[in-house]
Amino acid sequence: MFRYLSKSVLLLVVSVAICCILYPIVLWAVGQALFPFQANGSMLSGPDGRPVGSKLIAQPFTKDEYFQPRPSAASYDASASGSSSLAASNYALRDRVARTLGPVVQYKSGPQAGQSVAPDIETWFRKDTYQGAPHIVAQWADMHNSLAQAWVASDAAHTTYVRGWAKAHPKDVQQFRKDNPAATQPKESDLAVTFFKSFSAEHPGKFPSVVTSTGKDGKPQSTIEVVNAGQDIQSTFFDMWRQDHADADIQDVPADMVTTSASGLDPHISLQNAEFQLDRVSAKWAADLKRDPAGVRSEIEQILQKNAAAPWNGVAGEPFVNVLEVNLELRTKYGEPK
Amino acid sequence: MFLQIWLLPFALLATATVIAFPLSRYMAWIMDGKYRPLPVMGWFEKRLDSGPQNWKQYIGSLLLFNTVLFVFGYLVLALQPYLPLNPDGKTMLFPSTIFNSVISFMTNTNLQHYSGDQHLSNFSQIFFAIANMFLSAAIGLCALVAIIRALRSDASLGNFFLDMWRVLIYMFVPAALVFALIFLWQGSPMTFKTSHQVSTLEAGAMGTTDKGEAKQQTIVVGPVAALESIKMLGTNGGGFYGMNSAHPFENPTGLSNFFNTLAMMIFPFALVIMYGRMLGRMRHAYVIFIVMLALMAATVVWSVYFDTLKPNPGLTTHAGRTFEIAGAKSSEPKKPLTYPAVAGLPVDQHLGNLEGKEMRFGTSAGATFDALTTDVTCGAVNAEEDSINPMASLAPMAGMWINSIFGGKGVGMINMLLYVIIGIFIAGMMVGRTPEYLGKKIEAREIKLAAVALLVHPFMILAPVALFAVTHWGVDAVSNPGAHGFSQILYQFSSASANNGSAFDGLGVTYGFYNNPNPAPSAIAFDIATGLVMLFSRFLPIIAPVAMAAYLGAKKTNPAGLGTLRDDDVTFGLFLIGTILIIGALLFLPAAALGPIAEHFGPFPFGG
Repeated sequence: MFRYLSKSVLLLVVSVAICCILYPIVLWAVGQALFPFQANGSMLSGPDGRPVGSKLIAQPFTKDEYFQPRPSAASYDASASGSSSLAASNYALRDRVARTLGPVVQYKSGPQAGQSVAPDIETWFRKDTYQGAPHIVAQWADMHNSLAQAWVASDAAHTTYVRGWAKAHPKDVQQFRKDNPAATQPKESDLAVTFFKSFSAEHPGKFPSVVTSTGKDGKPQSTIEVVNAGQDIQSTFFDMWRQDHADADIQDVPADMVTTSASGLDPHISLQNAEFQLDRVSAKWAADLKRDPAGVRSEIEQILQKNAAAPWNGVAGEPFVNVLEVNLELRTKYGEPK
Repeated sequence: MFLQIWLLPFALLATATVIAFPLSRYMAWIMDGKYRPLPVMGWFEKRLDSGPQNWKQYIGSLLLFNTVLFVFGYLVLALQPYLPLNPDGKTMLFPSTIFNSVISFMTNTNLQHYSGDQHLSNFSQIFFAIANMFLSAAIGLCALVAIIRALRSDASLGNFFLDMWRVLIYMFVPAALVFALIFLWQGSPMTFKTSHQVSTLEAGAMGTTDKGEAKQQTIVVGPVAALESIKMLGTNGGGFYGMNSAHPFENPTGLSNFFNTLAMMIFPFALVIMYGRMLGRMRHAYVIFIVMLALMAATVVWSVYFDTLKPNPGLTTHAGRTFEIAGAKSSEPKKPLTYPAVAGLPVDQHLGNLEGKEMRFGTSAGATFDALTTDVTCGAVNAEEDSINPMASLAPMAGMWINSIFGGKGVGMINMLLYVIIGIFIAGMMVGRTPEYLGKKIEAREIKLAAVALLVHPFMILAPVALFAVTHWGVDAVSNPGAHGFSQILYQFSSASANNGSAFDGLGVTYGFYNNPNPAPSAIAFDIATGLVMLFSRFLPIIAPVAMAAYLGAKKTNPAGLGTLRDDDVTFGLFLIGTILIIGALLFLPAAALGPIAEHFGPFPFGG
């Protein structure tokens, strides 16, 4: 027994020396000597020579001058990779995709071909009728309790707004307590559905939306305004609009534009996705540089084609481009976006 | 399009098969001790060799070494804040998570209730993860070699410590070096630094801090290439980063993905042929190999068909449907339940379900990897398992349930041996002949041991799943509604019991650091339950088959005659598939019906 124990310890010591000390050090030395760029994380330098990120790690872009990477379930945090983990059957997945689609989709055919769907969503929203019944916001909260609750909890301004509403509507809160005797101390998010029903009755065709402004102390400040247009309405209610307009012929959006990757850090988008964004990107640069849009478009198109690669040279998959490399090239070529 | 989808999976199967032949010859040569060691190596071998062992001594050494490994692993993780290579000051994980992780890595499972990039220092990654990855894989391989020696009635089962040395030095370390260089070349980092702080190209795109400054991006790096190669070669599967082989640093390109996937296949493939070589029964091994290959191809085709060739059903059009819900009593009338028609969202899904997939690997790479990773009990993932299409998720689950479609290092072949024994026994009973394997009579004691070893697996999956599905432990942990929530629990215990390690990641099982104020509510329950499941499902199916092989080997060999059931022809192959599907897979059909199959039939979307 003791003999086996001493052999076990010896085996552990020898293997740790080989596998945990010798093996990594040899690899480290070879890596730093032969592949220093890769071994240190494939870092890219910006126009001023400072590192701007890793070629292999997605980073966010918000300006219209830049191509945008795939949405990230990890908020592009390269110290905490993560996926959405949303099942196909989970409504949260469909909702997230629909929200991304609403502001960007266009009609494919018919008299409005090529035009944005967003204004029609707003017009439909102001009429405040869904599937023939009144009050879209009330129906939305009723169908998707968890989304309504998530809305209340997602932003401090939302929570404050609901708290203010609760003070002004003691009867509604009382009724909620009566219907839900288990919730003795209802939080703001518990009241979400009651709140939206009351809101929808008082403000037909409107939705509470956050407006950010600069406060007196110079810090950004969020307040709620009751609006009847804007991105919140275009995104939140696109799926409901779609159900009311099932026959509308809408241009398909490349799937990788609305799906999150497994790591949340996928550095690539499909070439199809990049081409989809090309009009927006080139129009914005053309405006910034006061140049002919067609010329800028063909220049950027060339950049995309030059950067396009495909798994196994296209044998195993379709072409994609590296978002950071393309945007870095745009930044070097055209300077700082306005 | 056809080529883009099917070339990758079949290139992988073909390449691994081709490599298996020379590799198995080399492995048999090493394990039979026919090589002549260099003087330095020979010196170590003499120190480690404690002499010939019988089966009880061999198993005793194996268990003792695992105990030492457990203590070592626990110390490394528990002392993480005091050990070097930890400039970010990562503190200690919660004790139940350490318990779970240490068992997980020691048993070759690599189920991770933590995220490597968030919770481990580079010291822990090297001295905990990498150490266990080399050693746990070698342990399973040694167990198989001991069984082979027992079956061919060798004088002894060899020596455990010497076997471990041979596997490490002559197989894993050289192979790991080669694959690590490929991953390095393709872009995996290999540094002892922990992270880079960068200002993004568009300043402020990451948001702003409270002071109004642009947030920086923190990019975690480390000795990724070193870990990556042995993670795949040892069918370990525990990623350096939380998102494993989907992370661009672990798997930077389409080419690295090919080698990543291939790495987990080559040793399991070669072991089956090695089994035949060492026993001198090549035809028998070929039949087993072809059976495994057929089952593997079936799971891959299933996965690709439902995940790459079909869109994500959550986004597509669905017709309205009316169900009739039966009452609790037969006298109650059926109630109609109507789901309205759903209009599809305008998304071009010609590449299949892209939620939780990366772009750079290739069209069918995610679905292929999903199926292969559980067939060979690796457990690494290059796509998010939780988000694959419901029916496609049956492929990885079936891989874990059967647990011997090549299976993990050594233990996959051991599980297959159990199916072979049970299959021959059933066949013998059906035709009224004495069941024999390799000319040795299979009697009550051997069958009891084989049955125990086989039944541990379904018991260790179904019993805890039932427990967790009806208690708040499971209910609080699931992150998706309906049938998929059940699938998450089912997958977690299947993965633990198969010593696989992949997961439906949405399940809330992470406690995090010991001082985490908001741990997942069920983290401790899952830590302990899956920890115990991994432990029993690892060692009982090693101990019982070694004992069984020792008893079989001690019997006298009957010469094959006209009355002997052949174990190397087509009939035997078909019979083996039947045994595996009926005994191994059918047990899980009711659970599958409640999870993935129910989700597949809708309605979509569900809940929310």
